[in-house]
Amino acid sequence: MNTSTQTAQQPLARRAGAGGNPFAAQHRRRMFRGDLLTVIAWSSIAAAIALWLADGGASGFSTPGGTFTALGIVAGLAGMDLVLLMLLLAARLPIIDGAVGHDRALEFHRKLGKPALYLLLAHGVLLAVGYGMADGLDPVSEAVSLWVQVPDMWLAYISILLFIAVVVTSLVAVRRRFPYEFWYAVHLLTYAAVLTAIPHQFSVGGLFAEGTWQRWYWLAVCIGTGAALAHYRVLEPIVATVRHQLTVSRVVSAGHGVVSIEMTGRHLDELAGSGGRFFIWRFLAPGQWWHPHPFSLSAEPVTFGADGGGRLRITVRNLGRGSAALARLRPGTRVAVEGPYGLFSSASRSRRKVVLIGAGIGITPIRALLENTPFAPGEATVILRGHNQSGLYLGDEILDLCQRRGATLFHLTGRRPRGVSTWLPESESRAGYRLASYAPDLAGSDIYVCGPDAWARNVLDDARQAGVREEQLHYERFDW
Amino acid sequence: MRIRAVVSATLASAGILLAGWQSGAHVAESASAVGTTAGTAGTGTTGTGSAKSGLGSSAGGSTSGSAASGDTSSGTGTSGSGASGSSGSSSGSSSAGGTFTGDSVQTRFGSVQVQISVSGGKITDVKALQLTDEDRRSVQISNRAAPLLRSEVLQAQSANVQTISGATVTSSAYLTSLQAALDAAHL
Repeated sequence: MNTSTQTAQQPLARRAGAGGNPFAAQHRRRMFRGDLLTVIAWSSIAAAIALWLADGGASGFSTPGGTFTALGIVAGLAGMDLVLLMLLLAARLPIIDGAVGHDRALEFHRKLGKPALYLLLAHGVLLAVGYGMADGLDPVSEAVSLWVQVPDMWLAYISILLFIAVVVTSLVAVRRRFPYEFWYAVHLLTYAAVLTAIPHQFSVGGLFAEGTWQRWYWLAVCIGTGAALAHYRVLEPIVATVRHQLTVSRVVSAGHGVVSIEMTGRHLDELAGSGGRFFIWRFLAPGQWWHPHPFSLSAEPVTFGADGGGRLRITVRNLGRGSAALARLRPGTRVAVEGPYGLFSSASRSRRKVVLIGAGIGITPIRALLENTPFAPGEATVILRGHNQSGLYLGDEILDLCQRRGATLFHLTGRRPRGVSTWLPESESRAGYRLASYAPDLAGSDIYVCGPDAWARNVLDDARQAGVREEQLHYERFDW
Repeated sequence: MRIRAVVSATLASAGILLAGWQSGAHVAESASAVGTTAGTAGTGTTGTGSAKSGLGSSAGGSTSGSAASGDTSSGTGTSGSGASGSSGSSSGSSSAGGTFTGDSVQTRFGSVQVQISVSGGKITDVKALQLTDEDRRSVQISNRAAPLLRSEVLQAQSANVQTISGATVTSSAYLTSLQAALDAAHL
């Protein structure tokens, strides 16, 4: 992924000359990293509980009150560990992004949200019951007593309220009712929730008392997570913005309601191979600068000279209020950038052949990937889907690339049939075509899909029914 | 690939938990062992220790060495009982008045030490000089248990009182220290 189109074909032709799979080693490494991260994540939860076991915590099970207290402590340790894992999953760590991709990482992040909250709530309730039984108080009086008498506990109560607010506003049903900005603002409270939760962990329980090795472990885990967040979510974006000095050079129409935004900048040679991956863009214009846009590059970065000066391009459709304003961007507008992120690149290739399928605005990262991903002539299939010919954005460029690189191109236009769940237009669906009709060797191909959610699911289902393995499917979610 | 991840994650987690549990079982055993020796030996040796100091205040210095069984801060304890010894010798033997300090008893939540005030052969007050305070939860427990123990002791006029539920460690350390103070006062 660090080589441009022209040079990338050389090693491929050499390595794959014997008919082998040039991506086998890369694929093995990526799978190994994914498995390793899974093991680390699970081990961290086990380690949190082991801290408590090593402190002789299991002896608490000898009395009923002690059992509640013990379970409460375990729930708290596991809950906090899950919260830290969630923060790391959202921290855009290169090792996580490179192994499973940013969208998968956020999918895990979302999946952990409710379990983490349940554990933290259980932590509070179980300890109120357990401590209450020890003190001869009912749980409510015990909770009040903890609030009033034990320092740092009032912060922990605030923390749990913040956690509840954050998780509730992130539930799909609730999130849809509010604008993105509201959800984002509430989500920022996560940091306050974590920070207010930390003091009582170190002062109230004896587990992390001064002088214990458990204290050092827990400190290291908390500080490490904070440092990773500060580095990858704050420092790296600032460095990238300052280093690349991007400014809008022109905005051109690329179809009805669709514009291509071209930007010039420095050191863009470092971004070679990122065509198809996405960046988070902030256009530093009045009323716009605070609005982050996740958009994929719709072409490989073009570099002009030895100094790495060059041009980037994104192609966007007027979806929301923010996107509409993008069409009116003035040349010269400065651009803050974070990225590149995601696995919609050659880094996720696992097979020799490749099938690229895009619909609507999802065609644009397909266009960039077609430009930079290595394949021999005849080993790539490109399928574009739109309501009509004018909905196949960047169609001319894609046709040109297919001709130059020897890829097979299909245009599938027309409305989908009613009442049938298919990714194909009505006529093709009636004729009984499947994905395998267009790309016969699906088993030996990587399949990249980008488009609207429901449509993409239909493509992926079609591929799975044809026997394609999960590791060959690469799908960029746009709805996160 | 997924199976490999699940299997390795399960094995790794189980191994970590087992290691934690093993070292924890060790800690729990040694903690309870220390607790019982501190309990029995505490009353035993401190009994002799404070008896010595009761006999002569000059012996106070050597007592701190003899109470080695786990009472590291028994220096303060002996100095207290040394002083009480002198007051005891001045006003007679068992019907002595004055203040008597028990030994400092170590627990895993911190050390506990009590001081009693005696007048006319009766315990008139129990003061906790030190209570379990290793962490704030322990402080909360101590603050709840100490007044209850004090009133029970004043009522029973001995260390033979019920431990406070939920504060067993604090209670037994409290009563151990109390017994040492009672021995020093020859009550």
